[in-house]
Amino acid sequence: MNRLRLVLLTVGGAGLAALLVAACLRLPDFGGRRHPYGDRAVHASLSRHTANTIASVNFDQRAYDTLGEMSILFAAVLGCVVLLRQAGDERRARPEPAEVARPVRRYALLVLPVALLTGLYVIAHGQLSPGGGFQGGVVAATALHLLYLGADYRALERVRPLGVYETTDSLAVAAYLVLGTAGVLAGTAFLANTLLPYGTFNTLSSGGTVPLLNAAIGMEVASAAVVLLAHFLDQAVEIEETTGERTEGAHER
Amino acid sequence: MNGWILAATVELGGAGAAALWGVTTGPPARRVIAQNLTTSAVCPALLLLAQGYGRPSYVDLALLLALLGPVGTLVFARLLSDDLAGDSPSAWALTWAAAALGAAVVVALCVAGDPGRATVKLLVIGALLIGGNLIASRALAGGFRGVAGG
Amino acid sequence: MSDALTVVVLVLVAAAATAAVAQRDPARQALVLSFLGVLLAALFTVLQAPDVGLSQLAVGSALTPLLIMLSVRKVRRRGRSKEGPE
Repeated sequence: MNRLRLVLLTVGGAGLAALLVAACLRLPDFGGRRHPYGDRAVHASLSRHTANTIASVNFDQRAYDTLGEMSILFAAVLGCVVLLRQAGDERRARPEPAEVARPVRRYALLVLPVALLTGLYVIAHGQLSPGGGFQGGVVAATALHLLYLGADYRALERVRPLGVYETTDSLAVAAYLVLGTAGVLAGTAFLANTLLPYGTFNTLSSGGTVPLLNAAIGMEVASAAVVLLAHFLDQAVEIEETTGERTEGAHER
Repeated sequence: MNGWILAATVELGGAGAAALWGVTTGPPARRVIAQNLTTSAVCPALLLLAQGYGRPSYVDLALLLALLGPVGTLVFARLLSDDLAGDSPSAWALTWAAAALGAAVVVALCVAGDPGRATVKLLVIGALLIGGNLIASRALAGGFRGVAGG
Repeated sequence: MSDALTVVVLVLVAAAATAAVAQRDPARQALVLSFLGVLLAALFTVLQAPDVGLSQLAVGSALTPLLIMLSVRKVRRRGRSKEGPE
């Protein structure tokens, strides 16, 4: 049995190596200004009225890859949630209210809506200009944490019902899958961009399903980042170890 | 290479090297100041690059940096407030010089471009950059005195 | 001629990355890392990859420093409470 495995591994490895070498030999020259894949990607992107070729590659031509990346993020955040949960020998201390200098507090409260809006703008314009669901989602999630930086952790906790964000995270992943399956049901292929009309080039509603997939990714990334940071903040600010010799309530600052 | 890209090269090379030197050497107070000035050093360079390449959509990078750079500095100011309590770091001459650099670049780009929505966007970026820079400097200079607990 | 810009940014990125590795204290490493993140965004812009540059900016300028500094704070607090209650 072991021998068979070894033979199988050798054959498979040799085949892969041969294919890789063959592929390397026919790669375009290093540093050239034109690339056969680039030309084809741009052509496909333009034929589907997506102004930003990168968005077309990520959410149309290779939307399947993005599904993989999204599941990696989802699984990573899930792993962190499990690892950073409150253990049996830990207890929660109420975070103390913090005194922040007034200009800093005002700046945080002023920039928060601007940053949130910028995040939404980056998500919504993913098919037109650089940006997209991932970038915008991270910006929106960061914006929320201005409440922690400009005020204190309790202020952030009030606007952050964690269960809602966890549910949104899962719903966004499900939305991406549903959009993909809809392509199958419509008679083409998984995640094929054939569901919607392609719209007018260089407008918000162009690109077929690209804006919808962008929105799903944006929701997923934003809520995943919020959930991730929530558990880091819980550990850093609230959760304390209870050790035998320490008296309850005498937590050091 | 046009004048805009040349300006970006000089700006990025000079300010980037200075910020790198500041952020890797010296006491924590000096390092956080250098980290704060990174935003004011790179953001104008990104604006100049967008103009030099003739790609208005690249301005989004400068917008994001002007928004999030000061937030990053606030993170350090808040979570390092214990380390910074001894010598409240402030370098107001440098801070105002960085603000003047940002203002100069934004004004130059506004003059070079046609008035319109792009100008408004540039002005918003300039306001965010300069305001964020000043507030982050203020935060470093003892803006988080009362946050030992959280 | 526009290669000069690429060379300048590449040298800065290489120096900053080396410096980030050479730091011993995690908090100082986080400071250099956030500087490196902004420089990388500039490098990606110079190489005409603004999408990647935006991702780098979004993650590297505030999110990563926050995660690292929160971990540092947790570790320091634990260290202090292990030394004994005051």
